[in-house]
Amino acid sequence: MRQGVIEENAGGMWLWLLQRLTAVVLIVGLAVHIVATHVLNLGELSYDNVAGRLAMPLFVVVDFALLGAGIFHALNGLRMVLLDYGFSGRSKTMLSWGLFVFGVAAFGYGAWALWPWLTA
Amino acid sequence: MSQKDRETANVGAGLWKGAGMWAWLFHRVSGVALALYLFAHIWVISRGAATGAEGFNTMFETLESPLFIVLDLFLLAAVVYHALNGIRVLLFDLGVAIRQQKTLFWAVIAISVVVMAVFAYISLSFIASHGA
Repeated sequence: MRQGVIEENAGGMWLWLLQRLTAVVLIVGLAVHIVATHVLNLGELSYDNVAGRLAMPLFVVVDFALLGAGIFHALNGLRMVLLDYGFSGRSKTMLSWGLFVFGVAAFGYGAWALWPWLTA
Repeated sequence: MSQKDRETANVGAGLWKGAGMWAWLFHRVSGVALALYLFAHIWVISRGAATGAEGFNTMFETLESPLFIVLDLFLLAAVVYHALNGIRVLLFDLGVAIRQQKTLFWAVIAISVVVMAVFAYISLSFIASHGA
């Protein structure tokens, strides 16, 4: 193994663990989300229909859990794919920070998108 | 086949003969598709905050048209496969059933087909009863 490979990848274990934990959150959360939204309310989706669900604390928790876990799992997954195509050293650090900043921004944007229903 | 032939047969191409390689490839392709979809989905939902109730409702008339409901089935197929194969990978990480990986891949495919049949039935009967 090339010298320094272990040190260079320190911290990867936590990302690996978080990818598994968010996977579990997504499996449970998406089951609730898909059945509640796209089966039980099929054909009924509208602004007021969403408002009705988000009046229930359960769906506020599910939606924010899906937003956070989904963004992390998606971006960390894309990072794993991209790392197979020659990112190392400085370009790898920039990729990781770029995805981190994008993820935080996407979470903020998603929270802003839900805000009108939460404050209605 | 001699021991030597067995070792060198299908080098390279041989990788693509294994169920595990297909499981990995489908997981990756569905994962990239779902990652891109997630950000499109966040943008679509943000139209409520950006344009208000009326614009949101007009958009959802399109999103619940027969075409988009059928497209949703392809999206759901990616979700179901990625979730089930994800459970398969989680089991391997826990050291469970690694030697049964091929059987588990076919179990993932079989359960995906059953789940998709149920959702296809729900979706197509909705389209049939509400008209195009």
